[in-house]
Amino acid sequence: MVWLPNMIVVALLAGAFILFRTVRRNRFWTESIARLWRRRRFSLIIIGLYLAVALLDTISWVGGSASENASDVVAAHKPRSVIDRIFQPDSFMEISYSEPFADVGFYGEQPLAHPGKHILGTDILGQDVFYRSLKGVKIALLIGGLTTLIVIPIALIFGLAAGYFGGRVDDVVFFVMSTLASIPNLLLLIALIIVLGTGPVQVCVALGVTGWVGFCRLTRGETLKLREADYVQAAKALGASHLRIITRHIIPNLAHLIVITFALQFTGLVLAETVLAYLGIGLDGSWGQMIDQARNELSRSPVIWWNLAGATVLLFTLVLCVNLCADALRDILDPRTRKEAQ
Amino acid sequence: MNATRRWCGLLATSVACLLVAACSNNPYPSEEQNEKIQYAAFSEAPRTLDPATAYTTSAHVITANVYDTLLEYHYLNRPYELIPGLAEALPEVEQLLDGRTVFTFRLRDGIMFQRDASFSLNDNDTDSRKVTAHDFAFQFARLADPAVNSPVFENFASITGFRAFRDLISERRQADEAFAALRIDQQYEALGGVPGIIVLNELELEIVLDQQDLQMLYWFAIPFTTPVPWEAVVYWDGEEGRERFADHPVGTGPYTLSVYDKQFRYVLERNPMWYGAMYPEWQAPGAVFPTDITQEDVEARRVNPEYAGRALPFLDRIEYRRERESIPHFNKLLQGYYDSGGVINESFDAVIDGDRLSPAMVEMGMALDQVVSPSVFYIGFNMDDPTIGRTAGEPGRLLRQAMSLVVDVEQYLEIFSNGRGVPAQSPIPPGLFGYDDAYSNTFRQVDIDRAKDLMVQAGFPGGTDPATNEPLKLTFDTGNTTAQAQLRYKYFVTAWRRLGIDVEIAATTYNKFQEKVRTGAYQIFQWGWVADYPDPENFLFLLESGSARSATGGPNTANFSNPDYDALFAQMSDRPSDDERLRLINEMIALLERERPWIELYHLEDYILRHEWVLNAKPMGLSYPVYKYRDIDAELRSESRETWNQPVRWPLYAIILLMVAATVPAIRTLYRERQ
Repeated sequence: MVWLPNMIVVALLAGAFILFRTVRRNRFWTESIARLWRRRRFSLIIIGLYLAVALLDTISWVGGSASENASDVVAAHKPRSVIDRIFQPDSFMEISYSEPFADVGFYGEQPLAHPGKHILGTDILGQDVFYRSLKGVKIALLIGGLTTLIVIPIALIFGLAAGYFGGRVDDVVFFVMSTLASIPNLLLLIALIIVLGTGPVQVCVALGVTGWVGFCRLTRGETLKLREADYVQAAKALGASHLRIITRHIIPNLAHLIVITFALQFTGLVLAETVLAYLGIGLDGSWGQMIDQARNELSRSPVIWWNLAGATVLLFTLVLCVNLCADALRDILDPRTRKEAQ
Repeated sequence: MNATRRWCGLLATSVACLLVAACSNNPYPSEEQNEKIQYAAFSEAPRTLDPATAYTTSAHVITANVYDTLLEYHYLNRPYELIPGLAEALPEVEQLLDGRTVFTFRLRDGIMFQRDASFSLNDNDTDSRKVTAHDFAFQFARLADPAVNSPVFENFASITGFRAFRDLISERRQADEAFAALRIDQQYEALGGVPGIIVLNELELEIVLDQQDLQMLYWFAIPFTTPVPWEAVVYWDGEEGRERFADHPVGTGPYTLSVYDKQFRYVLERNPMWYGAMYPEWQAPGAVFPTDITQEDVEARRVNPEYAGRALPFLDRIEYRRERESIPHFNKLLQGYYDSGGVINESFDAVIDGDRLSPAMVEMGMALDQVVSPSVFYIGFNMDDPTIGRTAGEPGRLLRQAMSLVVDVEQYLEIFSNGRGVPAQSPIPPGLFGYDDAYSNTFRQVDIDRAKDLMVQAGFPGGTDPATNEPLKLTFDTGNTTAQAQLRYKYFVTAWRRLGIDVEIAATTYNKFQEKVRTGAYQIFQWGWVADYPDPENFLFLLESGSARSATGGPNTANFSNPDYDALFAQMSDRPSDDERLRLINEMIALLERERPWIELYHLEDYILRHEWVLNAKPMGLSYPVYKYRDIDAELRSESRETWNQPVRWPLYAIILLMVAATVPAIRTLYRERQ
């Protein structure tokens, strides 16, 4: 399965290329993206950097030269990503805590193996905090991205079906939505993760199962409105099939909602993983886990802040940038605000 | 109208400021400040207080003070020494020719149970009654009763007919509905009780063992063998609004449980029916402060010599409050709202300076006790596992030896516990017979080159499994999913990765982990053991095949089974602590060193901080805290609390000022706009 992450990278890059080409052909989307770039240039660059780090942490292969003083023999047999190869974590470590750019250990003041080289210091096990923080990027993007890709299709199918067909279908979908909404989200999440396990895919599935209701309700409402629109009625009168009406006339009008929901859902999910990690069911290596491991360190005397700071700053920056972009996207894509702007 | 409003607003603000300024951080009612109350904290609520099943430190805090025992430990003497408790004297021990052992106890005449509503079940309408030998026999029958499910059943299995009684009562309950419907004490009586527990008369009790078992004496100092009134078990049945017996202890001890809100608070109060309080003229060893006080204890402020010979107890009340987090607990200790407590990792450097208290702590009048508790923490290998266990033969042994050689426990303690703990070389902790300070386990000294050689000899050169040509994969199973615990496990895993062994941490819920242990689906685990009683047998039995988890459900979770070890254990366990016993113990330790079913990690070392006003607080080490010897200088505590907790009001005034400064321009703007 060494090839799987690399195949995912190839698939993602190919998908991005196809999307890029599709968008370029469409004037509305080209203009929208241009407007977004003008309004949120800095945030987009930051998101781009995060994506680059995540891709570099996904491209991996076995072999290649390990550092000479590597203490981890197993690592040489495992696929290592570009980030792993840059940082060489099996040798670029200390015995325990050290402050950012320190020359000696935090306790005992023993000289460090890599004096002045740990940008964000080291944690209790002597691991470089900057490296650990960067490793969290991939997990955050995976959680946010994959779960949103689970949430949106489920919500879209159910919302469209309920809104377009109405009647029994609407009753059933609404019943399922109401049932799910009446179960405390966190409890359901914990139960699902205990049943499914704590792997990345399992956590994404659990978050997806519990997170689609809000968007589904929105989609249903919009569809209810759209199905009464003149152009939909006209299509019906001309004998267009349901599938054609949904794909050609309704979904395109929901596109702005999908894009905005993707962005907003993404940040909510990244933060949700942090809560799960705090409850002991998060993902190994995530920012949530780093924050949980470091929660008592702020109470230490002298205080150890860098472990928490590394994860928190990266998490905060990502969430802020995505939220800023989502906010701008809403203004750009929402027909009402677009009309007002015009 | 506007002027009235302004004045009302000003008045309300002033009252609010005064109320806030008058607030104190004292969590206790002010009228308690001069009372002899000890304040302590607990983090985990006990699951049960039934003395037949309670087996955790959190439960012992209550049961050890509510339930008295036949024997108890001398408060000051070390090594531990048994003294009479409810018994008039230590028992007469008779060795019969057929190999059986007989203990004969004589009870003190006049011991009463605490006042309790359950005694209204008796014909005479009373709230207490005298303790008799029958109450002990009743409790022994409960220990054998499968419905009670005592965790120490196996430890009492050497009592004549103990096992047979369990089988008999189980069969009768299934076969005879009328019998099963009888009251519990009547059921025991109908079967004649446990055959080896013989009530000679109201005050004399004979306990017959099938074999010589000198360690049994220690069990008579543990609440498992306390007298239990049948009335309490029957009455407190959880029906019709009554509590369960597991939440309502009824004993003979110096304290009674008066409040039991197990999620938040529990309170122990002086028992007026305790024999020490009712009959001070007895001068019973367990009811007066010992007179043989050492100079060392006096100098360390552990004991006040003025208390010698005085009647116990000294505290009127012990109040426990729940503190889920260690940091607020420690802060309250520093504020004087708890009387003693451990030193948390987060504040270790602020509290400890080298091996002593920091000057700030000394100035506060704090004292520090460092106690190595009779405990051992270890990493165990499942010896039933085909890769790493017994069936793997010589390669398996070499693999375990190699893994043992790379775990640097000194560094582990330094990183995770500020160096607190004694690196373990064998299962026996310091202070117990058989512990040798000079002994150095050859597989517990870090030697990576030797470990790598052993890996080659085991057939895993560089950690590579020849079957897969990949790093050897093993699993470290745990029931602890917290991030802090994961860091500790990761430390071990990192050490083994140096040998090329790929150990995966399988962290699941505790129930799932227990399930794995039950089904034998585990390879490596970490566990600990705190002594029930201060004897090496209580540690070495953890590796005896008769206690194997897979075969008997016993505490030998490593499932270690070695005929030589078992034979040595059989010889050692029922011997007095003489040279021959020491030789046997050394042979067993040498065998464990070679076989490596465990990687011994450390013996727990507690750092206990206590305030100047806590008197006679010599740590017991064992998990049974005894509060009857302690005292509190309540006046000194009250003064110290007042000095240390002066309210700091300036932030409040600063905030008010800031709010006013921020509001005034807004109000001015509003007025201007209105005009």
